[in-house]
Amino acid sequence: MKLWNRLMCYCRRRSPWIFHLNSGSCNGCDIEIVAGLTPRYDAEQLGVRLEGSPRHADILCVTGPITKNAVRAIKTVYGQVCGPKAVVAIGSCPATTNVFIDSRTLDGPLNKHIPVDVFVPGCPPRPDAIIQGIAKAAEILAERGKQQPAAAKAEPVAIEVQP
Amino acid sequence: MNMTTALARLLIFPGILFAVPAAWFFLWVERKAVALMQGRIGPPFMQPFYDFVKLLGKDTPPRSGIAGGLMRAWPLIAVSTAAGAVGLLPVLPASGGFQGDLILLLALLEVPSICIIAAGFSSRSLFGEIGSAREAVLSVSYNVVFLLAIVSVAASQHTFRLEALAQMPPSPLLWLGILAILICLPAKLHLNPFSLPNAEQEIYSGPMVEFAGPELAMWELSHGLEWVAATGLVATLIAPHITLWWAAAIVFVALSFGIVLLLSAIAAATARLAIDTTVRFYWQCTLIFAVLAVSSALFMRLRS
Amino acid sequence: MNILTMLWKNLWGGSRTLRFPLRPKVTQRYRGLVQFDPELCTGCAICKFRCTSRAITYQAGKGEFTWSYDPGQCTFCGRCVEGCKAHALSQESACPPIYLHSGELKKTYTVARRAPAPKTAPAVPKAAATPASPKLAETPATGGTQ
Repeated sequence: MKLWNRLMCYCRRRSPWIFHLNSGSCNGCDIEIVAGLTPRYDAEQLGVRLEGSPRHADILCVTGPITKNAVRAIKTVYGQVCGPKAVVAIGSCPATTNVFIDSRTLDGPLNKHIPVDVFVPGCPPRPDAIIQGIAKAAEILAERGKQQPAAAKAEPVAIEVQP
Repeated sequence: MNMTTALARLLIFPGILFAVPAAWFFLWVERKAVALMQGRIGPPFMQPFYDFVKLLGKDTPPRSGIAGGLMRAWPLIAVSTAAGAVGLLPVLPASGGFQGDLILLLALLEVPSICIIAAGFSSRSLFGEIGSAREAVLSVSYNVVFLLAIVSVAASQHTFRLEALAQMPPSPLLWLGILAILICLPAKLHLNPFSLPNAEQEIYSGPMVEFAGPELAMWELSHGLEWVAATGLVATLIAPHITLWWAAAIVFVALSFGIVLLLSAIAAATARLAIDTTVRFYWQCTLIFAVLAVSSALFMRLRS
Repeated sequence: MNILTMLWKNLWGGSRTLRFPLRPKVTQRYRGLVQFDPELCTGCAICKFRCTSRAITYQAGKGEFTWSYDPGQCTFCGRCVEGCKAHALSQESACPPIYLHSGELKKTYTVARRAPAPKTAPAVPKAAATPASPKLAETPATGGTQ
């Protein structure tokens, strides 16, 4: 079983599938995420695939300051991503709400609602920084799997909403 | 053919032991070729294997009831029928076979598409239903041309044995049939320009939207096995008759590889077409191939 | 046919991809993390006033002040750098690093207030300067920050 666990952790690092979630962003960071898939930066050399469904992905990439309308959606999608999972907050907005601090329509930084693993600062961050963030999140998934081989799968899902 | 030959063909070559690594290899070739043609470097060589193992280690969402059981069953049915289709291919000379195994091969090639359609509906998701409806419409459109072409090639030889078809002398009818099959392959394998059913951003992966973990690993594997079966079918039709078994195997793999490269070039060069344009393409433009194939088969039959 | 020639050229021309972890060089004018020089800072707090996202905080104390900067809150606009009269702030031309815990990159400085430098009396009286001296010898001032 130990060999299978080591193989699994190796493969988790080599195959990060991402799902991109926009929670009220200005689309600057979204454009840079898609620019990370273009020939110059080519996230696919790390095995990154932009998936269409949250159930397929391991890494949830969130952009945008968290608007009040988006909170329920973020929690739903986070529950729909199947474990083991990691969250990357892309841009300064989900980390600290950036320039929109004190806005009436926002509901706090992202780690108020879901646990965040990697923060990629920038406004917008460069595509190579985003790819570095995703690679770091993949490493975190592999490390987590190595440390708790059985408990890595039993993640408590706080909000289970119907799909 | 006796039991040991049948088991060897199903389990070793061109059965599971060959088909599963070949599926991963062809999936990699397609991704790498499309990436190189788009000016990027693609994924590393073992990428489909890494994806498969990673998916085996993920959780599945809790499923209940009959729909849940069905959702667990459809990917397994798809994988087993696609592997059976690969096992039936007449790669090696004198490999035996039975009357009507062409019909069995075509039926086994159809079942994965039917599983995708059924899986989308049993996932009880709106996006799944849309994707399945599109896959069903696509399946009806390309299957007419596909089946007419291959059945007319078979009817001109008065046989439904795959081995006889693999060894038939090349004729204009055979090339017409192969061209018609090659036009249908992008739709069968969900490649651009006919990749509508699992459109990632438009309908959230269509029928696959609710699948996760090991079920998704099985779907990816069945997709790879469909690649091997479909390209293998065309490769056995094109390949000339070779008596040495290892030379025949090498020629089979090389021809399949060439067809994969051709399909990747078509996929890299085109964009996804909408469903009405796709259906119009298959019913208006390619039906002529099928009609030509059927009429020349009838003509040859009447002459002989 | 245009697309096919393009694909052919891409296939044989090699890819333009940067292999991970290589990253492209940023230009000299790239606005990265704000660098603070405690030696030059006079504690005027104009940067805190001008900051758009409250990344800079300033606390005045007896004989000293505390200046802190949180890159996670920063939007890298450069208004603080423009507004600093003592040129104590500059932006490095490098990409800000990724971090794992919120607030990890925040930097705080406590600077003791200094007495301003004393003005020295001019050694030579300035009576020799005539009001009609042409100013053509003066070179035009070079443009500062845009």
